[in-house]
Amino acid sequence: MASKPPRSINLLANLPLNILLYAVLIIPLAIMIFISFTDWNPAKGYDWWQAPFTGINNFVRMLGDVRFGAALGRTIVFVLVVVAVEFLLGLGIAYLFLAEFPGKRGIISLIIYPLMLPWVVVGLIFYLIFADFGPVVNVLKAIMGETFTRASLLLNPTTGFIVIMLADIWQWTPFMFLILYAGLSAVPRRFIEAAQVLGASSRTIFWRIQFPLIRPLAMIALALRSLEAFKVFDAVYMITRGGPGSTTETISFYIYMLAVRYYDMAYASAVSLVILIALAIVIRVFVKYTIERGGA
Amino acid sequence: MTETSLIVENLRKTFRTTVAVEDVTFEVRRGEFFSLLGPSGCGKTTTLRCIAGLEKPDKGRIIIGGKDVTNLPPQMRNVGLVFQEYAVFPHMTVYENIAFGLEVKKFPKGEIHKRVLRMAELLNLEEYLNIRAGRLAQALMQRVALARSIVVEPEILLLDEPLTLVDAKIKELMRRELRRYQKELGITILHVTHDQLEAMMVSDRIGVMCQGKILQIGTPIEIYDKPDSIFVARFIGSPTMNLIEGRLEQHNDELFLDADDARIPLYGVPSEKSKLNSYIGKIVVLGVRPEDIEISTQPMKGYFTGKIALIESIGNKLEIIVELNSITLYALSPPRTDLKVGQSIHLKLRPMKVHIFDKTTEKNIMLEEV
Amino acid sequence: MGTASKVLRIVAIAIYMVWLIIPIAWTLSLSFKPYLEWRSPHFWPKDPTLLNYKILFFYEREIAGTTGGTALTKPMITPLINTLIVVGISTIIAVIIGFFTAYGASRYNSPGPFSLYFTLLTRMVPPATFVTPVLVYYRTLGLLDTQLGLILLYAAATVTYSIWILKGFIDQIPREWEEAAILEGLSPFRAMMKVTLPLIKSSLLVSGLFIFLMNYSEFLFALVLTTKEAVTLPVHLTTYVGGSGALYGAQAACGIVASIIPLIIGYVIQKHLITGLTFGMVRA
Repeated sequence: MASKPPRSINLLANLPLNILLYAVLIIPLAIMIFISFTDWNPAKGYDWWQAPFTGINNFVRMLGDVRFGAALGRTIVFVLVVVAVEFLLGLGIAYLFLAEFPGKRGIISLIIYPLMLPWVVVGLIFYLIFADFGPVVNVLKAIMGETFTRASLLLNPTTGFIVIMLADIWQWTPFMFLILYAGLSAVPRRFIEAAQVLGASSRTIFWRIQFPLIRPLAMIALALRSLEAFKVFDAVYMITRGGPGSTTETISFYIYMLAVRYYDMAYASAVSLVILIALAIVIRVFVKYTIERGGA
Repeated sequence: MTETSLIVENLRKTFRTTVAVEDVTFEVRRGEFFSLLGPSGCGKTTTLRCIAGLEKPDKGRIIIGGKDVTNLPPQMRNVGLVFQEYAVFPHMTVYENIAFGLEVKKFPKGEIHKRVLRMAELLNLEEYLNIRAGRLAQALMQRVALARSIVVEPEILLLDEPLTLVDAKIKELMRRELRRYQKELGITILHVTHDQLEAMMVSDRIGVMCQGKILQIGTPIEIYDKPDSIFVARFIGSPTMNLIEGRLEQHNDELFLDADDARIPLYGVPSEKSKLNSYIGKIVVLGVRPEDIEISTQPMKGYFTGKIALIESIGNKLEIIVELNSITLYALSPPRTDLKVGQSIHLKLRPMKVHIFDKTTEKNIMLEEV
Repeated sequence: MGTASKVLRIVAIAIYMVWLIIPIAWTLSLSFKPYLEWRSPHFWPKDPTLLNYKILFFYEREIAGTTGGTALTKPMITPLINTLIVVGISTIIAVIIGFFTAYGASRYNSPGPFSLYFTLLTRMVPPATFVTPVLVYYRTLGLLDTQLGLILLYAAATVTYSIWILKGFIDQIPREWEEAAILEGLSPFRAMMKVTLPLIKSSLLVSGLFIFLMNYSEFLFALVLTTKEAVTLPVHLTTYVGGSGALYGAQAACGIVASIIPLIIGYVIQKHLITGLTFGMVRA
């Protein structure tokens, strides 16, 4: 397939990309690595490249940073719960759509609209619904009486976090649905017919024939969704602002606070670096695991 | 235990505007190897799928093992089905494939194990039991597909062109194996194919189909020797039967075919026994197989003359193409070296092997009773 | 499959659809509610008004009395224009660079597979981890609160989409066609432009629209890197509720308006959404 590329093509295919990535992303990465070993923040009199080297102070600080641990733990819980629910719901809905019925294509078209909405808008939608002035709280107050007047969904760390998860599930279940549905529909008819003649019910066919055959696809979907879910920020910002206090912060939000609110650039850099390295390790392990098991 | 495993009555199936199956009726007896034979698009696969329950017929009845299954789903019909592409479950091992039908029927584990092993032994699959079915070669896949269908002991086994996708060399082997399993296990088989040679070799009886209808049912020999329509006559037999149109004339008690610029005498063909008499003077179609034409380099009584246009060697025989003006006849002969292109040659049609077809109805006149 | 399961299926699907529609319906309804109804639990407005939408386009000051609030908002025209410019230009850059890179990768393995997988990292890392350095970097370069700054960033962040999507399509075009053109005297560059490029026009459009969709929604960097001049629509959305007051109705209206373009684009490329979201790995 590949021969030696002619100069013009070679140049065009590599140079612009490299310039873009290096200028915009790689250099900041280098800056980040540098700063994470210093003590710098903008309030100090000097510029960042003049900051003195302070060794691994920042990293040590991370070990004792409870807020960091909480944010990270919370994010992991978020990913696990959200992806699991989206997968199960998506699978269930895909199963419902396996039979033919009129208007199926139109309904699928409708179902996928949450995927297109800007993520902040989804956050906004759920904020407006679950906030103290919103319908849900009002209805709850009416049902449960005056004892509820002082409570609030979004000002409660647990329920606030649940609402954030709800927003993500609402928006991204269609993603799982589409992928799983595409995979399930692609299972050749004859496998299903062969199983039918052998006496299998629709349920047996689903679990023993269709579901196992979409495993590679399901793995891709889970991996991609997990990576995206880990990044969650927009919904947190719109729904709870990480609050009350820092009780609904995810790791992205914590880093944001460090850099933008507290101007603690050095520490923020260190935290960012650690997260990047941790993710790189996880991804590498995952890729190795999938390749060993037969590849995606 | 019923005598007939399968009865199909007046089956009809339309797809939108096309009539795929139009009034098909036939029976398959217990232990029989029955083939539905016909060209692509004749409705044989659709018929098979209706029998299996994968298509819903517009009209007709399907009775399997004495039970009317016309309105039952495939799961409840007690048939086995092997697809053209085998459709073995690729993600399961050979063992799991074979065990599938038994597990679905909720057989006890010990029993399943016993039966799977026994079936694997019968079909020489023991060493492959733990291999993922998706990784097997074609011939093995077919055996797995067979094994998994037979192990549940269906009333009748349906085979949808099982050998079509197979390499020519292996086909011969698989054909023989198939026949052997069938005889050994006493399975009733309904087999669908477009390969007439294949059907002739493995079947007890054949049903020839064309455009949604069954034209003739009979044993391979019956169909070969006594085709009752031009289509069947032309479809069966390789090389193809000679079919020549002309007027049936009688001259001095001898029949001959008058085809404008040539005359083919039908020496020895009796005219009183059949309806031939009533066709004298009418246009008919003469049919005679290449191997039923006798050749002589010397003119003899009852022989007519033609010129050799081409000599081709097919296998262990010679195909000799003879021209009589505008008529071309194909004759088959054992190998000989004395014939040359351009040479005059004398031919005679074996009288008992001559077929005369009515031009309009395309029916074999000679088979009809007087 | 009896009728019971058929009914269950319909009911289940109906429930899911209701669950999908209610949130946006509520927001839509809120956007038409007057100030007094912003806190009421009625679903539909009793006294619908277009005031909230008006607020989007004018300084609140001009219609102060009617909202009863003291929130000061800026019109969303500037943010909207900023978004269109920033997202539009960065998308074009991403698609162009993506095309050349995909072509080289497909035909000549240059850049090689390692580099291609490397670009995937731009989507795998949490944007937050890059906020700190980019903030510092842009501050030093003077790119804070500029359209250019966002354009460069967005292009870099989404070029991997066009690379992967376009490579998939280019792979499917037989190389012989370009080779034939080269045999006829065209330079490889012209062969690429005259033969391959026209053939993948629709994929260029699809990847472009998809990247537009992704960049349009980008929030974190826009939030952090802009303050006044280069504020984009998602950031502007947050300005209706804050320290200076709470214009819920207007915010709902802004959300609705901000969703129009992405929904249109989304439906135009709906068949390719999954292809894009999975970097071309899944073709539905």
